[in-house]
Amino acid sequence: MEGADEGIERVVDSKDLQQQSKAFDKLTDRVEDRQLDSSRVQEAMASIAASAEADWQAMRMREKELAAVKINAADVDIIANELELDKKVAERTLREHKGDAVAAIRHLLR
Amino acid sequence: MGASLPPKEANLFKLIVKSYETKQYKKGLKAADAILKKFPDHGETLSMKGLTLNCMDRKSEAYELVRQGLKNDLKSHVCWHVYGLLYRSDREYREAIKCYRNALRIDPDNIEILRDLSLLQAQMRDLSGFVETRQQLLTLKPNHRMNWIGFSVAHHLNSNSFKAVEILEAYEGTLDEDHPPENERCEHGEMLLYKISLLEECGFLERALEELHKKESKIVDKLVYKEQEVSLLVKLGHLDEGEALYRALLSMNPDNYRYYEGLQKCVGLYLEDGQYSPDQIDRLDSLYKTLVQQYKWSSAVKRIPLDFLQGGQFREAADSYIRPLLTKGVPSLFSDLSSLYNHPGKADILEQLILELEHSIRMSGHYPGRTDKEPPSTLMWTLFLLAQHYDRRGQYEIALSKIDEAIEHTPTVIDLYSVKSRILKHAGDLVAAAAFADEARCMDLADRYVNSECVKRMLQADQVALAEKTAVLFTKDGDQHNNLHDMQCMWYELASGESYFRQGDLGRALKKFLAVEKHYADITEDQFDFHSYCLRKMTLRTYVEMLKFQDQLHSHAYFHKAAAGAIRCYIKLHDSPPKSTAEEDDNMSKLLPSQKKKMRQKQRKAEARAKKEAEEKNEESSASGVSKSGKRHVKPVDPDPNGEKLLQVEDPLSEATKYLKLLQKNSPDSLETHLLSFELYTRKQKILLALQAVKQLLRLDAEHPDSHRCLIKFFHKVGSMNAPVTDSEKLIWSVLEAERPTISQLHEKSLFEANNSFLEKHKDSLMHRAAFAEILHILDSNRKSEAVKFVEDSTNNIVPRNGALGPIREWNLTDCIAVHKLLETVLADQDAGLRWKVRCAEYFPYSTYFEGCHSSASPNSAFSQLRKNSENESLNHSVDGQNVGSITSNGKLEAFKDLTI
Repeated sequence: MEGADEGIERVVDSKDLQQQSKAFDKLTDRVEDRQLDSSRVQEAMASIAASAEADWQAMRMREKELAAVKINAADVDIIANELELDKKVAERTLREHKGDAVAAIRHLLR
Repeated sequence: MGASLPPKEANLFKLIVKSYETKQYKKGLKAADAILKKFPDHGETLSMKGLTLNCMDRKSEAYELVRQGLKNDLKSHVCWHVYGLLYRSDREYREAIKCYRNALRIDPDNIEILRDLSLLQAQMRDLSGFVETRQQLLTLKPNHRMNWIGFSVAHHLNSNSFKAVEILEAYEGTLDEDHPPENERCEHGEMLLYKISLLEECGFLERALEELHKKESKIVDKLVYKEQEVSLLVKLGHLDEGEALYRALLSMNPDNYRYYEGLQKCVGLYLEDGQYSPDQIDRLDSLYKTLVQQYKWSSAVKRIPLDFLQGGQFREAADSYIRPLLTKGVPSLFSDLSSLYNHPGKADILEQLILELEHSIRMSGHYPGRTDKEPPSTLMWTLFLLAQHYDRRGQYEIALSKIDEAIEHTPTVIDLYSVKSRILKHAGDLVAAAAFADEARCMDLADRYVNSECVKRMLQADQVALAEKTAVLFTKDGDQHNNLHDMQCMWYELASGESYFRQGDLGRALKKFLAVEKHYADITEDQFDFHSYCLRKMTLRTYVEMLKFQDQLHSHAYFHKAAAGAIRCYIKLHDSPPKSTAEEDDNMSKLLPSQKKKMRQKQRKAEARAKKEAEEKNEESSASGVSKSGKRHVKPVDPDPNGEKLLQVEDPLSEATKYLKLLQKNSPDSLETHLLSFELYTRKQKILLALQAVKQLLRLDAEHPDSHRCLIKFFHKVGSMNAPVTDSEKLIWSVLEAERPTISQLHEKSLFEANNSFLEKHKDSLMHRAAFAEILHILDSNRKSEAVKFVEDSTNNIVPRNGALGPIREWNLTDCIAVHKLLETVLADQDAGLRWKVRCAEYFPYSTYFEGCHSSASPNSAFSQLRKNSENESLNHSVDGQNVGSITSNGKLEAFKDLTI
């Protein structure tokens, strides 16, 4: 009788574990994508207008402005070292504050 | 893809790919070997074989093969793609993205690579890149549903909810009128709910409500439908309809507090701060009186009025709330009431009320004004409630007398011992608290909750080995306490880490704290598979919720504790580095030859023992690798079980900085974050970053003693710096000159004057006085005795109140311990420390720290009594070298054997 009980328990336990690992495996199973009706899709695609153009232009203007700012390379190094920042971040902040190192640092200490 | 192979081998290559996709790795391996027999240098086959091996846990071979494959065929997008997949599996996401971009340069429209790239972009929150990639996928394969959904979600995450709605509407335009088919109803319904939540997010409330009603028949989740509808109605100001709907929701679930809150809003009776006028209180009271008739079985409808009622009304409602629960014997009653203790005046009312109940039951056996006889257990539960009440109010002596009386009344109730343990913990006797928690545990060995509570108390009492043995009773057989790590049992790792830290074992402490940090890294990684899974299942609302949760993951309190603990370990390591071998050798050379010999023998013996232990540990780990199914599942052996390698870190402060940055980003509103920041950056000589920490402390709580300490320390240090010479120093000086006028505490004041004016505002507060004294000593070390005297002259005033049972004093145990440490370390006055200790032993008689007359450190303690009462001592929990080896484990159980009912 004891042996039978142990057997049952073991079976349940291993079955449970199998179910768990099967469920986990299922998460990353390969599944075919569902297909949509072709003719309607073409109409839908046309309605997705690209408004990215204007955004991109605005961003480019901003970058152009910043690139024109004169900065002191030594200031970039000092800010990056003292505030433990990436040099790109230090440089960008300096440009945004028109090369004023004190103002840039005070902004970064906010 | 394998185009250069002959047809037979090309088919085998396709089989490798298919086997990889369907996780049949052995089959894939066989196919790869077949190709390589004839074409041993084929780059793509080598790469795919490597990728397959990677999924079979043969990582080093995998990298070797993939790199070889790529080297052989640099122009193959397959080789680059595979290299990226390999990096991804090791969480090297940036490298993986580089590989994918290289692959796309070769094959720009490859669907598989674009999909994998989008997953990485989602994982890394490169949201604009994610939008771009999903757009490309949609353009290439507009027939695939998932591409529409993916594109929409990408826009939502990139803060463009309106665009996301447009895309979903375009997608809906591709569907039939009778869509969805039966097997897709849940998925489609979820998509609709997602769209409606997007409309709500955009502020298009009318449109969202209209869409919700229009699509009602297609939305399967009726509960969310109703909740969404009521949310929109309230925002649109349709309060009557909202009220009706909230009542409908309450009939579905009358224990949901949010529904009651919503109902109150609809009838104009909700205030965020809970400060209601008498008229509002009356209207609320009558509202809940009608609701209680409708939902008799709901406890929420009876409990909520206790929050807004005042005075006599509160007393009456509390009385009728408490009585049936005491009769029934609900152990969680105090937890239920505990939030009321933050309301002014209610704690006193509750005290009077419960004392009256106690008195009446004790004298007459029934409640005041009633004739029905109460069962005997009601008195016990009343005492239980009173014990917790006095514990909350800091009157530990009374609390203990109440709980002792309850235990004497019914010694078999486990909750009584748990509460006694908690009272002793609050009173400062951690050893006795652990003993009583163990007593509770032994009364129900099958309950993991009391087991865990016991383990926690043991760790708080620094009984780590005993705690581990106790915890292991509920771990998987053979796994021992590694199982707790595998199951991400963070409370255990945090508590044991803190215990090791208190005992000065930095290696083990660091190991525990870093283990918690690794769990959070794993949880971050866990989201990866869901970026594609949730798009397939269309559980979009939950997916977006998960992503937002992941973005805030490191804000969780457990991560904060682990990171703060790790930083403290590293700072301590920096301040007191472990002795190097050279130093030990120097010490050795000073010894006499015979002592040298003895020392060397001792060392050799210790090394031998350590080696043996390590070997045994490895054996144990290996043994546990064999699972019950007979398969050998080998776990990697921990190369640094005691954290000794962690102590060898070259630059502890830079390690600490990694965790500090996470705290600064995720816990910016915690004082502790910026205190640690200040300590760390002053040691690193980063003046500006230390200033930033001070500014943050002032922003959060300018009047906090620690904020004051850091402010004055910072400017004292700056004031003692030399005049700036280098460009760097000059720039720093300029910033300091610009910042100092913005700090109001220092306006036209010297540091001494600032310290004095701080004291003026807080002269009655012990912790503020201690901060003042410490700063006085720092500014002028000649005034140490003055500082010490100032601390000792502090007065522990009695808190004014109308209580009839004994006084409550202002000072709490934690603060007094902190002051003692200040006297002994910073102010370095041992005599003053001793006087303080004696004084506080009077205020905290149960505190082991102060060796109070009732603490475990004294022969008259509860702990000692527990030992005397025991009938036998269990050998199961004796631990060599542990004081607590003599704790009784099953003592009282023997006595219960003769119990009859």
